[in-house]
Amino acid sequence: MDSSIRHDPNPESVRPDEPELDLYTIPSYSSWFAWNDIHETERQALKEFFEGSSISRTPKIYKEYRDFIINKYREDPTRRLTFTEIRKSLIGDVTLLHKVFLFLETWGLINFVAPPRPREGPDNDDRVRVEYGAPNGVRVVATPNSLRPLSAPVVKGKSGDNGVAENGVKLPPLASYSDVFGDLKRLRCGNCGDNCNSEYYEHSKDNFIVCVKCFKSRNFGENKSVDDFKLKDCGGNSAIYGAVWTEEETLLLLDSVLKHGDDWDLVAQNVKTKSKLDCITKLIELPFGESLIDSAKGRGNSSGPSMNINSAKPVLVPSSEHRENIINEDQGYDGTNENEQNGDSENQEPPLKKKCTTSTSDADSSLMKQVALISTMVGPQITAAAAEAAVAVLSDEMSCPREIFDGDQIDVTNGLLSPTLIYQPERAHNDEELEMKARSSPSESQETSQKKNDVPLPLRIRAAVATGLGAAAAHAKLLAEQEEREIEHLVATIIETQLKKLQSKIKHCEDAELLMEKEYAAIEELKEYILGERINILQRTFSVGISKLRELSSVQSKTGNLS
Amino acid sequence: MKPPASASWKAPLKFRMPTAENLVPIRLDIEVDGQRYKDSFTWNPYDPDSEVVMFAKRTVKDLKLAPGFIPQIVQSIQSQLADFRSYEGQDMYAGDKIVPIKLDLRVNHTVIRDQFLWDLNNFESDPEEFSRTLCKDLGIEDPEVGPAIAFAIREQLYEIAIQNVTSARENRINKKGRRGAEHFPLSKAGGAALDLMKLFNFRSSVVRKRKEWDYYKPILDLLSNEDVDALEAKEERSGR
Repeated sequence: MDSSIRHDPNPESVRPDEPELDLYTIPSYSSWFAWNDIHETERQALKEFFEGSSISRTPKIYKEYRDFIINKYREDPTRRLTFTEIRKSLIGDVTLLHKVFLFLETWGLINFVAPPRPREGPDNDDRVRVEYGAPNGVRVVATPNSLRPLSAPVVKGKSGDNGVAENGVKLPPLASYSDVFGDLKRLRCGNCGDNCNSEYYEHSKDNFIVCVKCFKSRNFGENKSVDDFKLKDCGGNSAIYGAVWTEEETLLLLDSVLKHGDDWDLVAQNVKTKSKLDCITKLIELPFGESLIDSAKGRGNSSGPSMNINSAKPVLVPSSEHRENIINEDQGYDGTNENEQNGDSENQEPPLKKKCTTSTSDADSSLMKQVALISTMVGPQITAAAAEAAVAVLSDEMSCPREIFDGDQIDVTNGLLSPTLIYQPERAHNDEELEMKARSSPSESQETSQKKNDVPLPLRIRAAVATGLGAAAAHAKLLAEQEEREIEHLVATIIETQLKKLQSKIKHCEDAELLMEKEYAAIEELKEYILGERINILQRTFSVGISKLRELSSVQSKTGNLS
Repeated sequence: MKPPASASWKAPLKFRMPTAENLVPIRLDIEVDGQRYKDSFTWNPYDPDSEVVMFAKRTVKDLKLAPGFIPQIVQSIQSQLADFRSYEGQDMYAGDKIVPIKLDLRVNHTVIRDQFLWDLNNFESDPEEFSRTLCKDLGIEDPEVGPAIAFAIREQLYEIAIQNVTSARENRINKKGRRGAEHFPLSKAGGAALDLMKLFNFRSSVVRKRKEWDYYKPILDLLSNEDVDALEAKEERSGR
């Protein structure tokens, strides 16, 4: 049973006069193993055999198992021995046998040089059925928001088609959908029956809608007058219908604006291919568009109401609120100053907003409001400083005296005068702004009280805008400085930590060096000691040897003598 | 080495599965409305009973069975659990007993036949581990085979354990009539136990004779689809 199997894996190393040696590799931690003995390790690991608890578990039996398994393995060390192979040949409880087998395997007494067990991973993956396409519960739809009537659900089985299948569930039209696209409900002109795409005129008294064309041609049937109609825009769709502007058109537009100022009819005529609305829209979109409009109007303002810093804010907010009630407008205004200035502000603001009476969805996040917000974020002193700076710059720009901003007192009549002066240029496009007339009365009543000031509104507004922005800028600068300081601080910390790290490393190296030196010294000592011993031994052998030699020689001489 | 005389007699233990984990093998074979549900699995008897209902519901849902299955499944499981528990309090004779376990089962395309010895006294035994090793060694890829083997082992062990209980009861009764009989014949109870005295004595070797090796090694067959169908049809006919 013991190494009765003789097969030599290394033919070269055999010397004929020596018994053939078997060369098997076992790990060094198993060097305790001996064929004819049972080591303590085995006793510990496989206690069952050594407790005498059962007739079927004795050390002898264990030894038999072990030897058999190891020999079986060594019949062919290159193949991996499996438990199943040996358990058929051994009598005994399979669980126990398995334990022995595992024990031997862990200690490398078997299967040490055998190829490792093939990994289960890739095999298992192959066994997994790979289904292509989305799982059965999910369907891939081409257009996620499509409200096409949904077909009956799911086909069982592998979904190879990722194509346009519909959900198995019929969804009700989503609220968000109707929100976004609801306005697209086609508005039909009451007169000609056309679809009203972007703008239409709505009668203020009853729900009569007239398309632009009909309105222009005054075709709205009986009992309705031109005054009653109000221009309405379809929510945010004007943006959707934005036209494409070529460079020449833009150039033309700018030229015409400079020439005609606020006269959008003329401007539109000049640009020819674009409607009034488009022109205005485009102009607003241009970065300097507003200033063009303003400058076209702001000339010739002489009177100067005061510019109160505090008023900047209230003016801003309400002015944006009243955006919808467009209003403003000229002649209707014999009302208070506030109304006028309010209307003025509306007027001077991008003219498009005059025509926009629908919700404030666009206008709400208007520039003014944002500026108001920004200026509220900083302290009053900053706002004051910013306002000062803004005003200074503005006055330089507009080349009008700074003093117009300084005055505190407002002359009511003066105030009245100036707005009317300003309104003159607007008369030109009165005929279009019918709706404003119509609504001037209602909007008057809606005015909230405003501060009076004579500063030409465009200037004022510009100043206010600039103030806000300046304030924000100052704030930003402060923040930036703070950030910088932080950064510096952090960088310093980093550098410090790095230095510390380096220092500790150096220290570590020094310690290691010290250790090395000590070891070296110890080794040197050892060397000397060994050398000493060697010398000792040699001395002793010599001393012995010499006497032997002497004997030999003496014997020889004796024998020599004798012979 | 002289085997101690008392080694062959053990104090009776409380009934339990002689495996590391005391799990109950459950077999289900239910037919409702023309649908037949056959299954076998192991159940942990320490799970609360509410688990049974949940399991039944989930199974019916997963396998898309008729809802009429649920009560039947629940009832079947519960009755088997009750059986198990009825044995639990009783004594089981677990002397030195090494029993042969036979495997002869077909799982999908794999047919396996095997025979090996199992020590009932070894409470560390783990059928799942054994079947795992077996599948790995034989390179069986079908993942359903392993659990099926483990289940078969458990079932047989369960049977034997039950027999042990009954035999212990008998023996107790007999003992009252027969004084002084300390040595319980090993061949009683199941009749499948091996005579350990014969096998493990001093003189004989634990290594089997070569000609017996083939009996104790696993035989694995892989069937083709037609064979599977044929076998299934035969089983159904004979099983009804």
